[in-house]
Amino acid sequence: MSADHTRDPCPIVILNDFGGAFAMGAIGGTVWHGIKGFRNSPYGERFVGASAAIRTRAPVVGGNFGVWGGLFSTFDCTVKAVRKREDAWNAVIAGFFTGGALAIRGGWKHTRNSAITCACLLGVFEGVGMMMQRVFAQPAVAPVYPDEPQRLAA
Amino acid sequence: MSSWLFGSSSSSSQSSKDATSTNNDNNNEKLKQTLGFDPSSVTDVSNILKAPGIFDSSRLHPLAGLDKGIEYLDLEDEQLNNVEGSQGIIPSRSWSDDLCYGTGAVYLLGLGFGGLYGLQEGINNIPKGAPPKLQLNTILNHITKRGPFLGNSSGVIAMTYNIIDSTLDAVRGKHDDLNSLGAGALAGAIFRASAGVKPMFISSVLATGAAGAWCGIKRYLQ
Repeated sequence: MSADHTRDPCPIVILNDFGGAFAMGAIGGTVWHGIKGFRNSPYGERFVGASAAIRTRAPVVGGNFGVWGGLFSTFDCTVKAVRKREDAWNAVIAGFFTGGALAIRGGWKHTRNSAITCACLLGVFEGVGMMMQRVFAQPAVAPVYPDEPQRLAA
Repeated sequence: MSSWLFGSSSSSSQSSKDATSTNNDNNNEKLKQTLGFDPSSVTDVSNILKAPGIFDSSRLHPLAGLDKGIEYLDLEDEQLNNVEGSQGIIPSRSWSDDLCYGTGAVYLLGLGFGGLYGLQEGINNIPKGAPPKLQLNTILNHITKRGPFLGNSSGVIAMTYNIIDSTLDAVRGKHDDLNSLGAGALAGAIFRASAGVKPMFISSVLATGAAGAWCGIKRYLQ
């Protein structure tokens, strides 16, 4: 497997993931809550309602996404540093710890269930990603050599 | 008897200097005649490497284009940002890197400072004589009330700022402090756009000041 040069090396990439996930959540939340606020407002106040929904909810969605992405990236880097290898299990283990850490205030049972759910989700993601890679990989084509020119009879 | 095997060593070492040189000349002549070329004119590897300008890539074949550096290795998606004046503290590939790093850093700062403020507030508000579990819960409640609020707000401002800043860079074709200040003013105004003109103005001024401070810090660190 070749190294992924589109991502930065490990400690600094946590910052990148925090910001990327936050921006993704905030922009997605703007669209989502904009539509939701627009549809749930009475006629005549639809744009006001959409704007109010965006202002109150989109930053929260961004924050939730950002904390999840940043925690996941932190655990991913930690697992990489401990295991000293890069494979799909890193994501699964990091997902386990992320789910557990985010649910830790809900009690032991909630933490355990959330960790297992998150690990399974990440496992499915990794599995689907691998299958996509296999399906869309370019098959190796044998090189075509030109035919040997026919010998002229002397 | 063994001069053909071990060489004649005795005669030349004891003779005088003149004799040695003539002897060497004679030897060279003899070698030249037997070999057909002058062995002292043969270049070995160290001679080649010592020749001046041997590593000058412009003297190689012009079609190789080696004098232009290693640009054939610069893949499309690994190029650094080449907008004029955009080289910051962290090497950035494009506007999306600026957005991610800027938003992430400011968001984490806001989260941290809000969390510290909440920690202090929570420690001050611990109910008297409560069991330790309740004390911990009070502190955690205050941290999670203040931290995410400040983090989310600052993160949204930073995100708006970075998007506007990159747009201005792309439109103007270069990056300078004026872009940062303008982006800060716009981001601050948009953040408080619904609260009225006066809060909008205050927030705009504050964000412009923050952008100016960031420009100063960047210049100091570089």
